[in-house]
Amino acid sequence: MSSEFRQPAHLIAPTDDLTAGERRRLIESMRPSDAEGVPELHEVDIPDELREQIEEMMSRYPQLRSASIPALWAVQRHYGWCSPEGIRQAAAVMGVTPAYLQSVASFYDLFATEPVGRHRVLVCTNISCWMRGGDGLLEAFCEASGADAHEASHHGASSPDGEFFVKGFECLGACDLAPMASIDARYYGPLDDDDAAAALDALRSGAEPLPDKALPKRAAAGGPEPTPDPRLEGTDVA
Amino acid sequence: MNERPQVTLVVDGLEVQATEGEMLVDAAKGGDVEIPVFCYEPKLGGPVGACRMCLVEIEGIPKLQTACSTPIRDGMVVYTGTDRVVEAQNAVVEFLLVNHPLDCPVCDKGGECPLQDIALGWGPGRSRVTDPKRHFRKPAPLSPLVRIDRERCILCYRCVRFSQEVAEDEQLQLLERGASSYVGTFDERPYIAPFHGNIIELCPVGALTAEAYRFRARPWDIEDAGSICTLCPSQCNVKFTVRDERVQRVLARDNHEVDNGWLCDKGRFGFQMISSEERITTPRLNGNRADWPTTVATAAQRLGSGERRIAAIVGGQVSNEEAYLVQRIVRGALGSPHVTSADELPAGPVARLSAPELGAAISEIESVESVLLIGADPLNSMPILDLRLRKAVRHSGLRLVVASERPTALDGGAEETARYAPGDSADFLTALAAELGPDPAPESPHAADAERLAGELRPGKTLVIWGERLGRGPRGETALGSLLEIVGALDCSAAGGGVFSVPDGSNARGAREVGCLPGSGPGFASVEDGRNLEAIKQGLTDGELDGVILLHADPVRDLPDGPGWARALNRARTVLSISCFEDASTKAADVVFPAEAYAEKEGTVTHPDGRLQRLRPSVPHPDDVRPIWQALAELAAALGHETEIDSAPEALDAIGAEVPFYAGLTPEEIGGTGVRWQDRPEASAWATPDHGSPEAATAASDPGTEPAEGLRLGTYRDLWAGEVTDRNVALRFLAPEQRVELAPADAERLGLGDGDEVEVRSNGTGVRARVQLRERLRPGAAYLIEGTATDNANVFSRVRSVEIEKR
Amino acid sequence: MPETRVLFRHIDDPQLATIEGYRRHDGYKALERAFRELDPSDLLAAFEDSGLRGRGGAGFSMGKKGSFLPRGEMRKYVCCNADESEPGAFKDRELMMKNPHQLIEGVAIASLAVGASHAFIFIRGEYWEVADILDRAVAEAYEANYLGPNVVNSGAKVELVVHRGAGAYICGEETALLDALEGKRGNPRLKPPFPAIEGLYGGPTLINNVETLSNLPHIVNNGANWFKSFGTEQSPGTKVVSVSGCVERPGNYEVELGIPSRELIFDLAGGPAEDRRVKAWFPGGSSSPVLTEAELDLPYTFEDLAEAGSMLGSGSIIVADDTVSVPELALRTARFYHHESCGKCTPCREGTNWTVKMLERITRGEATPMDLEIIASVQENIIGHCLCVLGDSMAMPVGAMVAKFRDEFEAAIEAARRPGAGDFDLSPIDRPLTTGVSAP
Ligand SMILES: Cc1cc2nc3c(=O)[nH]c(=O)nc-3n(C[C@H](O)[C@H](O)[C@H](O)COP(=O)(O)O)c2cc1C
Ligand code: SF4
Ligand code: FES
Repeated sequence: MSSEFRQPAHLIAPTDDLTAGERRRLIESMRPSDAEGVPELHEVDIPDELREQIEEMMSRYPQLRSASIPALWAVQRHYGWCSPEGIRQAAAVMGVTPAYLQSVASFYDLFATEPVGRHRVLVCTNISCWMRGGDGLLEAFCEASGADAHEASHHGASSPDGEFFVKGFECLGACDLAPMASIDARYYGPLDDDDAAAALDALRSGAEPLPDKALPKRAAAGGPEPTPDPRLEGTDVA
Repeated sequence: MNERPQVTLVVDGLEVQATEGEMLVDAAKGGDVEIPVFCYEPKLGGPVGACRMCLVEIEGIPKLQTACSTPIRDGMVVYTGTDRVVEAQNAVVEFLLVNHPLDCPVCDKGGECPLQDIALGWGPGRSRVTDPKRHFRKPAPLSPLVRIDRERCILCYRCVRFSQEVAEDEQLQLLERGASSYVGTFDERPYIAPFHGNIIELCPVGALTAEAYRFRARPWDIEDAGSICTLCPSQCNVKFTVRDERVQRVLARDNHEVDNGWLCDKGRFGFQMISSEERITTPRLNGNRADWPTTVATAAQRLGSGERRIAAIVGGQVSNEEAYLVQRIVRGALGSPHVTSADELPAGPVARLSAPELGAAISEIESVESVLLIGADPLNSMPILDLRLRKAVRHSGLRLVVASERPTALDGGAEETARYAPGDSADFLTALAAELGPDPAPESPHAADAERLAGELRPGKTLVIWGERLGRGPRGETALGSLLEIVGALDCSAAGGGVFSVPDGSNARGAREVGCLPGSGPGFASVEDGRNLEAIKQGLTDGELDGVILLHADPVRDLPDGPGWARALNRARTVLSISCFEDASTKAADVVFPAEAYAEKEGTVTHPDGRLQRLRPSVPHPDDVRPIWQALAELAAALGHETEIDSAPEALDAIGAEVPFYAGLTPEEIGGTGVRWQDRPEASAWATPDHGSPEAATAASDPGTEPAEGLRLGTYRDLWAGEVTDRNVALRFLAPEQRVELAPADAERLGLGDGDEVEVRSNGTGVRARVQLRERLRPGAAYLIEGTATDNANVFSRVRSVEIEKR
Repeated sequence: MPETRVLFRHIDDPQLATIEGYRRHDGYKALERAFRELDPSDLLAAFEDSGLRGRGGAGFSMGKKGSFLPRGEMRKYVCCNADESEPGAFKDRELMMKNPHQLIEGVAIASLAVGASHAFIFIRGEYWEVADILDRAVAEAYEANYLGPNVVNSGAKVELVVHRGAGAYICGEETALLDALEGKRGNPRLKPPFPAIEGLYGGPTLINNVETLSNLPHIVNNGANWFKSFGTEQSPGTKVVSVSGCVERPGNYEVELGIPSRELIFDLAGGPAEDRRVKAWFPGGSSSPVLTEAELDLPYTFEDLAEAGSMLGSGSIIVADDTVSVPELALRTARFYHHESCGKCTPCREGTNWTVKMLERITRGEATPMDLEIIASVQENIIGHCLCVLGDSMAMPVGAMVAKFRDEFEAAIEAARRPGAGDFDLSPIDRPLTTGVSAP
């Protein structure tokens, strides 16, 4: 792994890639109307249920901007990613600029600002999982899905068939399951490399992946049987 | 303004006096101690403490503190040069240079770059970084006017904070996170907003540069010349960057009382026209180049024979001296009473509204409780006022109340807004006056709105900002009558609240105060009544007037009924046009004086709040161009009227002699930042002249013809519709094509959609336009832009309603 | 020494997450008593008196923080910090998933104590399924009138919204959390003003960790003295400790503060695999300076760990055994903070990114011992110079690793530079996966 910066490809193109002519034409192509202020609702045709979801979110908070993360979640659920069109629609409902929402979306790891595979597999490669084989698990998921391993270990990669999005992720807060993965927002672990293929097959067939390795199945670790503690007598509170 | 106590603190062993609550960086300056900063910029609001360049040691606090965000306390003991502090400063500079390219030799900022200076003054002086820096395409156009070099960006957020918190356009944002953050826009759209040029000046490195200035000059081969931008009534204080006798760049010359240190893009990028090839640079007679003496003589001869049949119209670009001399020529030399201004208003009420006890300074917006903004959209006519109001709403809890025909850019920050139909402004004002007045309000369709607004306005705590268009047209007198009642009811006074107006023309106030209104001479002195614009047009058309002097005025483009004006000027026996450029009106002129551009002028202008400001010649006159005050003085002399004015200051003296409340003004007194005449003792010489009281306000509006499915026609001045845009190559892309704004409901009824090509017609005349739907528009009205180069909405005169058809 | 389960009592009762299950164990008794009988200022006094210290990292007295909020009628807020994104921490997840009502009761009580009518639980977006459970529990609580306009008809109002984040560790920093909750990018704010004075939407705001708030019902029920009977004088109470890494039984263990760290790692979590030894361990999550095998007997308290130059932080122990390469451990650690730095302030943004580049050169064999000097001094240049402590959170552990395992770094540099060494292989050797206890 190396830690290249995450940037849209066009921005890291070599510095001399624009000839004077190209630059002039680019400038000449810019119209005041291309600048994106707050879109009016009639300019975007937003699906009713998406609009209602966002409006419901806005009603929950003392200030409507608090709804920006929930609104982006709604957009991502609806389109599979935070597409520019979806962002414009949300912006129109919220009365903010799309730029504002994109700035927020691009700050958070769970919002996809480019199209991604249908099922999302986040493999923890942080300290605890790494020490228990997280890297191998990530590779296994890449092999099983066909996603590019190098890409996956940086900002994530989708499988050629568009079914899966695989990403090496920072600590997911489940080191007790190490090595583990979050599959479509549910936690599974501890996993061995063969689980990867099994999980993806299950997903392909619409079944729940690795049911018996799902987080809810797991009891608190628990040590030796606690000996009765007088201080807990009669304090029978959860 | 509440006075904060002075306190004493010790900076590097030096006792420093400063105002309590002041930030440490600023206080330290008082002791000549400079603390380096990058992200700190008070103009942008509160400190953010992001760059960490300003770390200092404060006795009693274990951690180093950011001086930009530490309010001083009495007895504070501060060290800015201890080993710890120096280590921290070296560290921050080294960190900033981890990714900043060392391409200073080819960087436009070189030589005037805070990063360069700070690296030199507070940096470690060596680099330990051997790892590759991050790469971006450079320099990418951010807009047609601004380039962004993201490799140079040090992520101080000044530019994005400007977009978020000052202009509030929220187009420029930070994208991504951490070390991969970069400044950008939504979906790589260009950042195009009326104030975006300010980010160039804010950027402490060479990341944001002006397309027009790139590689034009180095700091050591330029001169700065301070003057005033007269492209709009904001009259922002500017610094012209001059190289090779040409203006290469315009920078802000921070004057809190006027501009808060900002410029709009018109003022910042509108300087190309000064050195434009299209300039008229020699006198002309019947279209042919001529020399000055012949031209002046001929002008005198042609005007002189006109006797009392000559009129004059001054435009917004005039200086007080020019305007004064013109009215003196017409009234004095030609004995003709017909002098007016393109921003014509009924002298009576406007004089009353100009009284010093009412006059508010624009900076008071930041201390009053509420502002009633009526009949104006500052963004279009006085952009910097828009920023000032936003700032007050954001930072000093101003309650803004907006009443207008069209939605304004400020509605978002307003407590209350009210919309009235085009042509109903007088009625609305009457209703509001009644609502605020003592006795029960008469029936009015506007009663409900008026009541809503009135609820937000506390007498003695409200500043009234009114658009001068309210005073135009047949019912202008009525409207201003009601406005006076409102001002009275809110007991506006300089003490609490006050009044000022938003004109179209930059120096409209100056022009009328030195005597350019019918029946109103210098200082609003009551003089023989003369024709107003409408009557002048008539007079020229039907031959009752012989000729007209146009000083920086282009009625064909800028006044209602352009075609009518074209006809009138063509009929006129003689037209003397004093203009920088060949425009629709100079075409009809037999005598042309080449006018000075604003950067060449010497003289004074008067800000809408009464502040006199000084125009300083910053670049030499091209070719045969001469000071206009001088040409006019010669013209007067040639007409046998010796003014004895041989210099601009003498012209100012002459004004002072006739305008009691300008008495004794000198360029020195006005100085670099100007003086409000209301603040001078001479203001006591003010006596509200009697021009006859306005007709009593009536609720009845003139019916006018209104076809069934017709829409009321409203027209407005778009910021970018006008000569400045057309004459500046860099700004041309902003020139709006005619569009007709409709409420979605109306469009639906007419079967029209966004972007449709339509013809907007009314008895015979029509313009082509593109439909633009606007949700916040009041249904029943259609809006067109005035002053567009083609399909100008001013072809319609006194038209109340229009039909719209698809093309 | 076994666990002492207070927060975890009945944790294995599958019904606990439902309101009935919770009530069966006397749930919401504390809330009813507090709202009906107790005076808010007495509540705060009791919390302060109990010595309950924040479980989210800073370890600041909960009661004291609450008392910083201005009294009187105004819009105040309570924010529960459930962002739990620090590598090694997963206790809040278990507390919320298995016993959501305990937290909700705690949040309501805290709101009453400081006079807040609006409360939020900011939960990291990755915990989607946990948030679903919380949402269900919150709905139940509204249903039962433990939340809402008139809690248990006491006249007091508490509205609670579960706000899901979207993946950014920095949002755990309390002021960044506020910005995120206000719908902005999660950038930390300048302090002062502190949230207690000017927080969410500019109003006074109490921010506490999930575990901190989960303790409140117990203190209300059993009193401050009872609480103080657990733990040490400066670190009273029990603590849910997440133990992970190279141990046989990684998981959450609730213990009395003050037990020897060795017992947590070995007796409870089973210690490293056979014939492996503890090489380095983080006592309080990845941002705590690493300790060595020699320091295993430190009592697990705020004060003792601080004395040893590290910290208890959020109470998450990560164990690295002798198969783990410290340079690679340092790189993993640094990468995390580099990835999570919000980028607002210079030393953190550039310092984390520069450190990663240098550590990567070590693994690529492009580093010299000179680089170790630079890495060390860069860590010093970060510490104490940032806007929030995220920067320090990398600099402290990485600095400690370079200091305590310098020869291993030098060896790594040498090994990687040896001709033909290729890309120095630092991947950990295979080891049997943990045997997590699965419920029937
Ligand atoms: C970078 C950073 C991340 C943090 N993450 C968390 C977190 O995930 N959960 C948490 O409760 N506190 C976290 N904190 C601590 C919080 O800032 C705050 O101190 C804490 O939530 C207060 O609650 P407490 O007093 O109950 O501990 C973090 C602090 C920093 C600087
Ligand atoms: S572009 Fe300039 S102003 Fe904007 S963040 Fe970068 S350095 Fe600061
Ligand atoms: S100037 Fe103080 S932190 Fe940037």
